[in-house]
Amino acid sequence: MIGVVPALDSYEGEHVRGFTFLGGKGPGADLFLSFHELRLAAQRRAAHYAAAGLVRGDRVAVIVPEGEHFIPAFLGALWIGLIPVPLYPPVSLGKLDAFMDALVTILNVAKPRVLVTTERVGKVLWPAVGRIPSLERVITSEELAREPAGPLPKAVAVRDDEVAFLQFTSGSTALPKGVMVTHGNLAANTHAIVVHGLKADGARDICVSWLPLYHDMGLIGCVLAPVCHAIPSVYIPTLSFIKNATLWLETLHKYRGNLTFAPNFAYALVTKRAKPEQIARWDLSHVRVFGCGSEPINPHTMRAFVDAMAPAGLKPSALLPCYGMAEATLAISFVGVDEPLRTDRIDEERYHREATAAPAANGSAALEIVNCGRTFPGHEMSVQDDDGRILPDRQIGEICLRSASVTPGYWQDPEATRAAFRNGWLRTGDLGYLVDGEVFISGRIKDILIVNGRNYYPQRIEWLVDDIQGVRKGSAVVFTRPGRASEEIVVAAESRAEDAAAVKTEIVARVSEEFQLAVADVALVAPGTLPKTSSGKLQRRKTREQYLNGTLGRAGRNGNARLALARHLALSLVGRARHEVRKLFGG
Amino acid sequence: MADRIDVIEMFKQAAFEVDNRRLPDLKGETVIATLGMDSVAIMELVSWFEEKLSLRIPDEELGHIRTVRDLRDTVARLAPDRQFAA
Repeated sequence: MIGVVPALDSYEGEHVRGFTFLGGKGPGADLFLSFHELRLAAQRRAAHYAAAGLVRGDRVAVIVPEGEHFIPAFLGALWIGLIPVPLYPPVSLGKLDAFMDALVTILNVAKPRVLVTTERVGKVLWPAVGRIPSLERVITSEELAREPAGPLPKAVAVRDDEVAFLQFTSGSTALPKGVMVTHGNLAANTHAIVVHGLKADGARDICVSWLPLYHDMGLIGCVLAPVCHAIPSVYIPTLSFIKNATLWLETLHKYRGNLTFAPNFAYALVTKRAKPEQIARWDLSHVRVFGCGSEPINPHTMRAFVDAMAPAGLKPSALLPCYGMAEATLAISFVGVDEPLRTDRIDEERYHREATAAPAANGSAALEIVNCGRTFPGHEMSVQDDDGRILPDRQIGEICLRSASVTPGYWQDPEATRAAFRNGWLRTGDLGYLVDGEVFISGRIKDILIVNGRNYYPQRIEWLVDDIQGVRKGSAVVFTRPGRASEEIVVAAESRAEDAAAVKTEIVARVSEEFQLAVADVALVAPGTLPKTSSGKLQRRKTREQYLNGTLGRAGRNGNARLALARHLALSLVGRARHEVRKLFGG
Repeated sequence: MADRIDVIEMFKQAAFEVDNRRLPDLKGETVIATLGMDSVAIMELVSWFEEKLSLRIPDEELGHIRTVRDLRDTVARLAPDRQFAA
């Protein structure tokens, strides 16, 4: 097991292997940096940081879109024990104000002394700088690339428990939490990914990634893991991929890349965009791993991708569903590298009623859940009930983790850290079950919506919808449903409005404007019919359940809702109903 | 002289091609983010314009584009030798 800094330090003289940046030398001209050059580039940045007076443990915010500038700036900080805070650049249409607010909130938690950005992005960020009191100066990536005046610093000997960097969650939230990723976490998780998960070898494998570099899968999976294990990698600017998704497969073809990762939505997008003549031209037969993670995996999307790319020689076994989260550094489980996509069909009725994942009988309503494989040697995974008892196979509960990859907690947030752990186990907030050590993720306890790889907090969308004329105050509920390709947003709300169509149009427009989220459906129901707790709080999970099984809004007034609850209780002593009882009696 | 480039009409065509979306009521002052397209579709639409007009909108300018007219003004500025409808 080797950490990022010692690995990088060992690359003096490694001139053959390295990183390639598409368009890094201008349009159409790719830039190659050998690992030897990468080490030197990181050292140069470290010298500039040291000259700016930064010392071990100081935070450095990094907002740099281009990989060829971002990676050396990030590694240079690790080199001398600084704590980089990578953040996403402002690249969406017309969202500058919201971006700035989120940026200021995050950085006022991280309290960096320096912000590293590019000259061009810096101009846009300038108004935010004055709102971050800890910031002493802004250094551009152009300045960092210059030859430093002083000597190149030696790598510091980092401790395993020392914080390497802070990973803020990708969505915007009122109180952002920064996951502390230690040097020991990085060594453990990149080892698990490369050695156990991918069985990868830097002499044979090439990674291709368009993933954002500020995000765990892009940064840890496709930059730091390759750094630790000397795997040549090719980077596509994220925006280039979003604008032209086929560039991803084109690059795998051109550079003979054989390892790549992406969230579910990217597979849907590229399947939609790839033209038959491109597919006929591509050779994807050498690709060993098309990893899929970081948002719920839709088996239909995956099958459509495999079918569409069959003419390019794609091996169905290349698909590699995986499960991970920032709090576990990145990877939690992978399926075996030579296994095809496997799913489990479980009885829908028993899942909802008994919290049991019983194999579905032919003809009965079934849920299809993707097998996300096993966790790695030295990593433990269990499914626990609300009281922290470990559940047997095929019982639905919360996925919990214990390993050297698990974060010590959130940056200067002991309360959130305490809430994330129980009896030494990290609570993932994901619902699922185990079968012979293989994990199946069926939903989320935390009400986070994940769409196109980004996290959204339903409360914030609900607050917006609540303010729309025609919507009953405090009645909006937002959740996701499985879409054709990825998860889709559904808004449910109570309304008395005569013109329901106008209210729906307004909801779609406002949510879209504020969050750049497409609302797939708006369900307007009569006042008093959305499921609430005894204290009048809306129940998001229950609303979603009713929406999905077609009973939303049919409960009638509160009396009927109570009757429905009583019936629900009578049907089952376990599962969801038990939650209701606890809430009713304040348990 | 070639016809003036009508960004509103182009936008309608782009929204249909990229996102299968018909926008008969689109106006210059329409805020793009209210059209119900997600962020990926919007970036694909930007790319569609870049390709059709053979230009590139710098990433850091994207944040300033709110309305269809903002988009028109940006592309008109980036292609000074072409004629755009108001």
